[in-house]
Amino acid sequence: MQATLKTLRALMRSPQGAVGTILVTLLLFISVFGPMLAPQDPESFNFGSRFSEPTSQFLFGTDWFGRDLLSRVLVGARSTVLLAILATIIGTASGALIGIFSGFVGGWIDEVIMRTIDAVMAIPGLLLALMILTVLGSSSLNAVIAIGIAFAPGMSRIARSTTLSVRELDYVSAARARGESSLWIIFAEILPNMVAPVIVEATIRVAFAIMTLATLSFLGLGAQPPSSEWGLMIAEAREHMFRSPWPILVPGVAIALVAIAFNLLGDGLRDVLNPHAQE
Amino acid sequence: MTLTPVLDITDYSLTYSTAAGPIRILEDINLQIAKGEVLGLVGESGSAKSSLAYAVMRDLPGRVDVENGSIRLQGVDLTSMPEDELTRRRGQQIAMVFQNAATALDPTQSLGAHLAETLRTHRFNETQDVTARVHELFDLVGLPDPALMAQKYPHEVSGGEKQRVVLAMAVSCEPDLILFDEPTSALDATTAVGMLDLFAEMQQKIGVAGLFISHDLGVVSEVADRVAVIYGGRIVETATVEELFANPKHPYTQSLLASLPRPSDTRTKRGLRIDEGTPPPRRGAIPACNFSHRCPKHDPAICDRSRVLLMPNGAGQLACVRPDVSLNAAQINPLSISSATTEAVLEVENLTVKLGRTSLIDQMLRRDPVQVHAVNDVNLTLHRGETLSLVGESGCGKSSLARALVGLGPYEGTLRLEGREVETLDAAYRADVQIIFQNPDSSLNPRHRLSTILSRALKLYCPDIRSGERDVEIVKLLEQVRLPAHYVNRYPHQLSGGEKQRVAIARAIAAQPKVIICDEITSGLDAAVQAAIVALLKQVQQETNVALLFITHDLAILRHIAHRTAVMYLGEIVETRTVESLDQRPYHPYTEALLSSTSSPDPDTITRRVRLTGNLPVRTALLKGCCFESRCPRRIGAICHDESVPMRQAAQTHALKCHHDTADLAKIEPVWQFVQPHD
Repeated sequence: MQATLKTLRALMRSPQGAVGTILVTLLLFISVFGPMLAPQDPESFNFGSRFSEPTSQFLFGTDWFGRDLLSRVLVGARSTVLLAILATIIGTASGALIGIFSGFVGGWIDEVIMRTIDAVMAIPGLLLALMILTVLGSSSLNAVIAIGIAFAPGMSRIARSTTLSVRELDYVSAARARGESSLWIIFAEILPNMVAPVIVEATIRVAFAIMTLATLSFLGLGAQPPSSEWGLMIAEAREHMFRSPWPILVPGVAIALVAIAFNLLGDGLRDVLNPHAQE
Repeated sequence: MTLTPVLDITDYSLTYSTAAGPIRILEDINLQIAKGEVLGLVGESGSAKSSLAYAVMRDLPGRVDVENGSIRLQGVDLTSMPEDELTRRRGQQIAMVFQNAATALDPTQSLGAHLAETLRTHRFNETQDVTARVHELFDLVGLPDPALMAQKYPHEVSGGEKQRVVLAMAVSCEPDLILFDEPTSALDATTAVGMLDLFAEMQQKIGVAGLFISHDLGVVSEVADRVAVIYGGRIVETATVEELFANPKHPYTQSLLASLPRPSDTRTKRGLRIDEGTPPPRRGAIPACNFSHRCPKHDPAICDRSRVLLMPNGAGQLACVRPDVSLNAAQINPLSISSATTEAVLEVENLTVKLGRTSLIDQMLRRDPVQVHAVNDVNLTLHRGETLSLVGESGCGKSSLARALVGLGPYEGTLRLEGREVETLDAAYRADVQIIFQNPDSSLNPRHRLSTILSRALKLYCPDIRSGERDVEIVKLLEQVRLPAHYVNRYPHQLSGGEKQRVAIARAIAAQPKVIICDEITSGLDAAVQAAIVALLKQVQQETNVALLFITHDLAILRHIAHRTAVMYLGEIVETRTVESLDQRPYHPYTEALLSSTSSPDPDTITRRVRLTGNLPVRTALLKGCCFESRCPRRIGAICHDESVPMRQAAQTHALKCHHDTADLAKIEPVWQFVQPHD
């Protein structure tokens, strides 16, 4: 707990860290309380004011059905951001576990696992997610699982390389010499000492997850209408692009902001969690 | 001295600003180095001795808060000099020799290119013959075959040769001042003395001024004319080498010298002073005297009246207001080593460790895999309550042996624990044979509290202790290693180096083992802390009758802990003998060289110099003859290379492996001569 507070304080001292933390906090707040903050029902039609520009009634304008874009973005934050975080957690946890195990065991098992991972990594992430979705069928949850699986190989490489350097340290030797079980060595000796780089990588990956999720929804494989998931909002607005830019611009800017926020937080965390940067 | 000093530091102080407020680094530094003089700067770790070198180089790593005073090089102040002017003078006027030559050289450049680059920048233009000068310089620092050496890359030469190249770079532009930052600390003893000889020789040839920084008083005594002792960022005493060792005046210097082992200790029964004081405060109010918080003769009425500054005292300088009061030496226990039994606990027979694994391709092609013979056919016996020290330089296989004994690597050979042959290194064996590693920073998991670290050992080895009672046991363990009970909730990084090593010892004794293997456990510690750890180990040994295998490269300390010693060279044990007999001949030629390389600040002994030359043989093939043959100063001839060496019994407890007859070896000059005969 104390360590978390200390990290947070150090984070707030660097400009990127401070901006990133504030933006991400704001975003999580919106994700949770978005529906309550929304001034209007995101799915109610206002045929009198279709393609409205930002006005006092519709702060961000309206779309082709006259739905309030502000309300739709606020409500859509939950499905976009929370699902992206969920996808990242799935990818990070599974990747880290594979990486630690592979790095700790070493030898030919490590070779087999890593060459398989290499093969999977050769397929572009989006293509892999599309393949998985083809098998699982399209829905938001399946998109999350697909992105998680697509992220795992990259995470496992990072986890493995950190494990390889931690494994050589004397406290691991000490644990082996006193006859600790492999489970204890992996989870109690190695894991706590390699979470820092993994957390940093995960934070940056949230931004990728949001973009991939939006892409999948854009392609019609993620969230389904009338959901206000941001990627889906852009995909639907595409047909009406030349009548009004607002339906594309608003969710587009939102996605960009979220990506920037998580990237800033990741950069800040990287500096703070780096032991060499500490006093 | 009438001449202007080469380096003149006046009232220099430096404060860095950190997140937690300003932190004092250096205070009231006054130092002069005359032309042709070498000033040794000695202090324990964290005494800011390297910071002083960086301040002179104008390469300050921290964020400067306040910087006062002046640093004058040949009369010109460096602190106010613009950066481009400094760049011109670095290398040209001031040069630096770093601790680690391996990282000071660029692996992608040849050794000759390193020098040529320095020369072109400062001395030569393109048309002049730089190569000739490079060869000349290589010759000057004693590198054989300069033309061939210049074409080699850093990874192709040894550590000592790399350090010679760094030295050649430093002298290449004939600077006014060379800064040496622990230049021999990373080298083996036998290589380091060679370097020290070279420094002294260079000094005579080119007469450059030098600032020689080291934590090791012994090393400094070999090269310096004068020594400055630094403590907590302040210079506490300066004196000539002889004066400082014979008659130290500052209580800190006295305590520092009293905690250093000397070759004469076995004869004089001199014990080591234990002083594990905390470093002086670096933040907040400035104390009048930096040493006052641990000074045995601190008197608030006199010492705290005003700031204690460095004042002339005799031929040197001293920062103490009560130099007339002498320190009572009563706290030092005389050297005593409890007697060991002759009951064997751990027997090692024909142990061989090969490093490097067999690859699948090697197996398929039926090729012999390339393996390094780290430990070769070693026999050792450890008795109950005995400390056997295993001495050897880096790479001699002593750590490989230690790791094999605790089941961290494969081995061939037989182990016997209390007479029973050990077939698998099972839980019972692991509980009986514990290991303590060299560096407690890496042997204690930084994310675990001391309670976790200690409770794991209890849980594994003493399953009959219920989890509720474990806390009581942990406190008992901490008590045993003289640590306060409230430390249980601390993390390792909240402890000092010596305290961390105590935790590692506590973890090892939790299992109530029969054997503890101490792998260089005092090497990274300051002398006073080393003395404390050694005293603690002796105490633990007395209480539990445990056998210790004390692995070290430092011959001086083993006189204070070990009963017997085994000298290891290239994976073989070349000599075993009692520590008491260490002052008596015969010696194995390698032991002789090792003993003579221990630089010691002992005014009462004269050490005969034996210097090793030659290269190490390749270790992937088994040697036919003697492993030391290629560097041996007492080589007989072809017999040393071709015929296997017999183990000769010089006395009942003394065996050595050499083609020379022990009677012949007994006739060589003794390594030490003791100036004053002791009764």
